[in-house]
Amino acid sequence: MIFLAFRYLFERRRQTILTLLGIFLGTAAYVSISGFMLGFRGYLIDQLINNDAHVHIGAREEFLTDHSLDDPFYQNVFAHVFWDPAPSGRKDSDMVENPQQWYKRLDADPRVEAYSPQLTASVIFSNGKAISSSTLIGCDPRAQVKVTTLGDYVIEGQFTDLAVGGNRIVIGNELQKKLGLRVSQNVMVSLAEGPPTPFKIVGIFKTGNKLSDNVAYGALADVQKVNRTPNHVNKIAVRLHDHTQAAALAAAWAKISPERVESWDQVNSSIFDVFRIQDAVRFMSVGAVMIVAGFGIYNVLNMTVMHKRKDIAILRSMGYDTGDIIRLFFSQGLILGVAGTILGLTFSYFFCLYLQTIPFGGGPLGGGMGHLIVSFDPKIYIQSAILGLLSSTIASILPASSAGKLTPIEIIRAGAE
Amino acid sequence: MGITARHVGKMIGEPPTRILSDINLEINNGEFLALTGRSGSGKSTLLYLLSTLDRVSQGEVQIDGQNVGKMEPEMIHRFRNANMGFIFQFHYLLAELNTLENVLMPARKSGRQVEREHYARSLLKQFDLGDKMHRLPRQLSGGEQQRVAIARALVMEPQYLFADEPTGSLDSVNGENVMNIIRDANERLNVTVIMVTHESDFARLAKRQVHLVDGKIQ
Repeated sequence: MIFLAFRYLFERRRQTILTLLGIFLGTAAYVSISGFMLGFRGYLIDQLINNDAHVHIGAREEFLTDHSLDDPFYQNVFAHVFWDPAPSGRKDSDMVENPQQWYKRLDADPRVEAYSPQLTASVIFSNGKAISSSTLIGCDPRAQVKVTTLGDYVIEGQFTDLAVGGNRIVIGNELQKKLGLRVSQNVMVSLAEGPPTPFKIVGIFKTGNKLSDNVAYGALADVQKVNRTPNHVNKIAVRLHDHTQAAALAAAWAKISPERVESWDQVNSSIFDVFRIQDAVRFMSVGAVMIVAGFGIYNVLNMTVMHKRKDIAILRSMGYDTGDIIRLFFSQGLILGVAGTILGLTFSYFFCLYLQTIPFGGGPLGGGMGHLIVSFDPKIYIQSAILGLLSSTIASILPASSAGKLTPIEIIRAGAE
Repeated sequence: MGITARHVGKMIGEPPTRILSDINLEINNGEFLALTGRSGSGKSTLLYLLSTLDRVSQGEVQIDGQNVGKMEPEMIHRFRNANMGFIFQFHYLLAELNTLENVLMPARKSGRQVEREHYARSLLKQFDLGDKMHRLPRQLSGGEQQRVAIARALVMEPQYLFADEPTGSLDSVNGENVMNIIRDANERLNVTVIMVTHESDFARLAKRQVHLVDGKIQ
């Protein structure tokens, strides 16, 4: 019956092309939108995984509850203590309580690739009249380049030059421009109160993210000294061999310590929420196109069944059975679906290749080459094909089965009336 | 062997309306039978019952000794494809197919189109359509279209040919041509012909006439 189905489709070219266009647009839109969105997403996740630590161990954060102060004041004296008003607020710490214990734990864990203790201090950078309040991050320079990819973004000097010690910093490109400095010059670093300390700039980094490029890095001991918090660490950045274990490991470590332990995906959970919203919008918009295309096929096939009732009657009289008639009309929907899907996938593949050539800055939206990043994940193409074929199949079932139910005698009698 | 109708009755619609009652008829192989009667006498309904296109409400129809009511649908379809040809008042040609393709449609069902093509061509030549094999139905006259429909009915060299008012939509010249072809199929190919007609001149060409009045054989 495929032979006849093709003839029917060729005979009403305009309808066929319009219906084909619906499926074509649906599949092409799905691949193009998904390719663009997932390409960008892949880049962003890659950045999140590779540029930053997989697990962040931060200073404790504790919220006071109604019974948080029971023990300090009335330990074992009363069974129940009622406060009026009940205690509230936070009991935070500005440092990791026992970093040495963490170092031992991390050194012993085979899943840990590297870790870098950090101290983040809010400071004021000044160079003559140019002043900027910003963040100075103290770290273990050799470990830091293993934990993050910061070293790759150093455009002048070397990040590991910090390890020499003696008040050196690697400064972000944005901060450097604000202060009007260059490598080997000194910048004054001070807290809100207290005398400034001179730091020598040994490197400049540029990640493309303005927020990240507005900070500076120094050796941990130097920053502890300028912050007047010797031996203090307020964060330990950990890199794992396998980033997919981050969430499970963070949850396990959080149970055995008072520190705030978060995996990279927990830290960036808001970004993943945006991804979920993007997915919903993507599926809804493409779903709408597919539903319209499906209705197109349904309408066209329904009309064809109505117009071809006499054909059905004569075919049945020749010995064609119900299955043959169903196949005749169902295959028309399927041919439209398959052809529309193949055309849509082919077009969108080349369209995505073209999208990749469009210049798009050098920031987080652009790739290393400064072009749009598009995903060519086969899953996108498979999903799109399934969507196109499914909508055309579902849309063809009803008209085909209604054609199969027609008996020759019904049609002949209706024709005679 | 042939077709036998025993106490056949047919009711249609809701509430049921009786169309045929107590029809007893025997049609031998090679016969040319004309079913005649006024409009609404039930002659077309009887034709469709005898040809397996419709099912009886009472009684039974036997073809070559087999009760049609007890045959599996698949078997009926196969039997119809191999042994029956149909001609209707209107040609019912498939508008998208050319003359030859239309004629070969029954053969296509059983995958025998290559095998039957030579015979199809010879039939078309015999019916003066040799130069119109690749024309679409809309490019043919009414008489030519009906001759293509007859060629389609005969392409499988059927045992039975059922014709429902085959000349109803044709002028007298074309009507006569069509009747000659049908008579020729009966005489030369020994095809059993059961034909519904209300034209007495054409009915007289048949070897036997069965006249129906109000759903009964008179």
